[in-house]
Amino acid sequence: MAEMQVNTAKRRFMARHRGRGAQVFIYLGKLLRMFIYQNDWKVLPMAALIAGLVGMVVRRKFFINMEGTVMGAFAMVCVCIWNGCFNSIQVICRERDVIKREHRSGMHISSYIFAHMLYQALLCLLQVGVTLFVTSKVGVKYPAEGVISKWFIVDFGISMFLITYASDMMSLWVSSLSRTTTTAMTIMPFVLIFQLVFSGGMLSLPAWTKPLTNFTISNPGLKVVACQADVNHRPYATIADLIKKMRDNEIGGTVTLGQVLDLLDDKDNATVAEIRSKQIGGVFTLGEVTQMLEQSKSFNKFRQEAIIGEKTVGDLLNFLLEDESLKNLRDFEIPNTDLKVGTVLGELVKYEELKPMLAQKFIQTVTVGDVVDAVKSTGLLDEFKDETINATTTIGDIADWLTSNEDIQAHRDDAFTLKTTLGKILDVVGEKNVMSFLEEKAAAANYKPEYECIPDNILKYWMHLFGFILAFALLATITLEFIDKDKR
Amino acid sequence: MIVVKALLILFFTQDGYTGMALYALYMVGLWKLFEKSGLEGWWALVPFARDYQLARCAGRESEGPVYSLSGFGLTMLSIIMLFLNRTAEEQAVLSGRDLLITILAITLSLVYFIYNIRVWSGMIEVYGVRRRWMLLCLFTYTKFIPALVWGFNKKYQPEWKVEDIRAELARMATQGSASVMDEGLTVNLSERTATEFFRKKVLLRDIHMAIPKGHMVLLLGGSGAGKTTYVNAINGYEKAKAEVLLNGNNLYTQYKKMQYDVGFVPQSEMMRGKDTVLNTLLDAAKLRLPIEINAKQRRARVDEVMEIFGLTPVQNNLVEKLSGGQKKRLSISMEFISNPSLFILDEPDSGLDGVMARELFVQLRKIADTGKIVIVITHTPDRVVDLFDDVIVLAKDSARTGRLAYYGSIEDARKFFDCERMEQIVKSINRKEEGGEGLADDYVMKYAEVQHG
Repeated sequence: MAEMQVNTAKRRFMARHRGRGAQVFIYLGKLLRMFIYQNDWKVLPMAALIAGLVGMVVRRKFFINMEGTVMGAFAMVCVCIWNGCFNSIQVICRERDVIKREHRSGMHISSYIFAHMLYQALLCLLQVGVTLFVTSKVGVKYPAEGVISKWFIVDFGISMFLITYASDMMSLWVSSLSRTTTTAMTIMPFVLIFQLVFSGGMLSLPAWTKPLTNFTISNPGLKVVACQADVNHRPYATIADLIKKMRDNEIGGTVTLGQVLDLLDDKDNATVAEIRSKQIGGVFTLGEVTQMLEQSKSFNKFRQEAIIGEKTVGDLLNFLLEDESLKNLRDFEIPNTDLKVGTVLGELVKYEELKPMLAQKFIQTVTVGDVVDAVKSTGLLDEFKDETINATTTIGDIADWLTSNEDIQAHRDDAFTLKTTLGKILDVVGEKNVMSFLEEKAAAANYKPEYECIPDNILKYWMHLFGFILAFALLATITLEFIDKDKR
Repeated sequence: MIVVKALLILFFTQDGYTGMALYALYMVGLWKLFEKSGLEGWWALVPFARDYQLARCAGRESEGPVYSLSGFGLTMLSIIMLFLNRTAEEQAVLSGRDLLITILAITLSLVYFIYNIRVWSGMIEVYGVRRRWMLLCLFTYTKFIPALVWGFNKKYQPEWKVEDIRAELARMATQGSASVMDEGLTVNLSERTATEFFRKKVLLRDIHMAIPKGHMVLLLGGSGAGKTTYVNAINGYEKAKAEVLLNGNNLYTQYKKMQYDVGFVPQSEMMRGKDTVLNTLLDAAKLRLPIEINAKQRRARVDEVMEIFGLTPVQNNLVEKLSGGQKKRLSISMEFISNPSLFILDEPDSGLDGVMARELFVQLRKIADTGKIVIVITHTPDRVVDLFDDVIVLAKDSARTGRLAYYGSIEDARKFFDCERMEQIVKSINRKEEGGEGLADDYVMKYAEVQHG
């Protein structure tokens, strides 16, 4: 019966055969069967194994600091390229003879390649799923929110898929170029090395090789992953780690006071300017000051200092007559007379008869402590304990004062030796402050606009990768169209 | 000055006086060698092309392009370095560019050295000299000695020439054509060429025949005679300068429509080992049968073909698990599924024992008896020769072009070649260096004379 349908030559010539679209499904079905029979499924546990190994290495610092994130991004790109390359490197060359025979029997190369594209897309999708699952299980902490979609894992998954798929298509092209699997596997390491070396992210390349990075999948791949991982805004930890390791290192040297003062006076230096603008001191209440003084050992020693020695009445009168601050007192007119207090006091000092009295000692030694106690006893301190005292100033003001002070300038050539450890300096200045300052500055120095986590950048890199996918698939099709030129 | 130096390097591959003088001697020797091999001597003066022509003289034409191109690459690198004009100090520190050039130069030097050995090994074989000559052939400064000695000394003559009787054979060629058959295969092939390294190479020339339907035809020929090229030309896959008519329809102009009416079974089993027999045939049916045939009819045809070729019991087995005979039968089934009018099989019996091979050919005979044309290439024809109607004998002439040495019935072939066994025919037309009698040119001319009466 069936033979009748295909019997006559004329009818056969008139008959239509399956077109490109229908042939895609024939080959897709065949490839899906191969997934089972030809053990293509092995790529999935292999992807899990690779993801597990890489995940364990990068998990501690991936998405934590800048270096760890860059390293993690590069490792993930490597995983994707590796998976993609080994998915398809042998698929065409291992059945080149079969393809040639089927091409002779009416198979369209475009249908065959498109079937492979669909099948490989499925394979890559599964591998990306496996990789993300395994890496998260081994402890890689993925951020929650994405830039393009709501979920980071979706954005990141798309990027990984595009990198894997682009590598897959590149290998498909290499496979279509190679006559045998041995040739393909010989070419493969060079392709991988080219991808890794010319990614443009990890190794500093000579200027003339820079254009080559445009031809690598790893370049946009690394950029998009670094972008999504927000590398630019991760702290730069290497310097901080280094300083921690150097805490016990001794540092020191001999400097003159003049060198220090000149440095502090260099207002054109941005760093000095920043230091000069730093405010020091603060706003205190009178109560706080009192409490602080009472607790201070040095102040308690100071309390013993005599502030007024033994005085005579004459000394007192002379003080009242000469002190500038008492001018108002001296000019005070005694009521109902024409006399001023100063005139009366002046006359008293001149009387010879009063000399013995003027020589009379009238007061005993008073210490700072006596004065303070006296003040306290009045209850004034309690009354005004909440009064604030503004004692803020800038380092610049102090520096200016130091440089304008003649006494200090006279000591410019005095040299002094500094000898300490980095740890001690950090303790004085505040280790946390230093670390955050250095991390912030280093991160700013390492800022790359192409790593900025914005939708435009991510979409641009996705398009770049998509371009690679189409280009390599097209190249594979064109290359395989020449299969009938193979030498027999 | 630098341009002159570059030209000298281009021509002599070096710019030192001694080197140039020795290379000039080498070129003189090559001139004579080329003339001895039937080529124009002036090729020795053409940079790079002389390497390719030397490979041709050595019978290593396939290695000629790489030999020539690697030499070209090395010369170009020398010229580039000349123009870069780097001082000794600069050369001491390798830049990235220099490193690239160095790696390229080392690679090309290695390739050139290896291919030089291959080509000169061929020359040693062609001139029948001792292998110790190779020591002189290895180095640029000593190559001129064998070139001059073999070129000028009449004692040294090549065992064969690149082009000697081509022109004579071309004159003797059968310029006529076979008359067109309404039901059968008519082949009028004047030339099948291929371009290799900018050179047109004639693979087949002047093959004319008409095969009636229902005939089973044996295709004989030594290795390299062009059997596979011929079947590819007549099934339309690799087109030649020819007219191929199947049942009156031009296979070349209507290839897309007629390709399913021609079944070609390749020599090796080109099938996916990890697929089952049934799925392999179902996919083949989907590809080869018209779209109008529905799934049920398709399945019925697959079952029918499996029954014919005895594959029903193993239909669910993986192809890689089949025996050699079963694989052959499956391979044939895949082509037979579209019930083609012309069925071509390239060594279907390779790897099969005598009994299995006989069974297979009996089955092919049955197919031919249904009114189809079956053309079979085999290297062990005598065990099944009784099943064939006709024989085509292709032979490689002195210019290494595939020619028709005979087409006709088996009985007439025995008379024509004056031998009983088909394998003797192959031996008589094979070249001497292949262990044959080297009578190909004679039989080609004899058959041409017979054709012209």
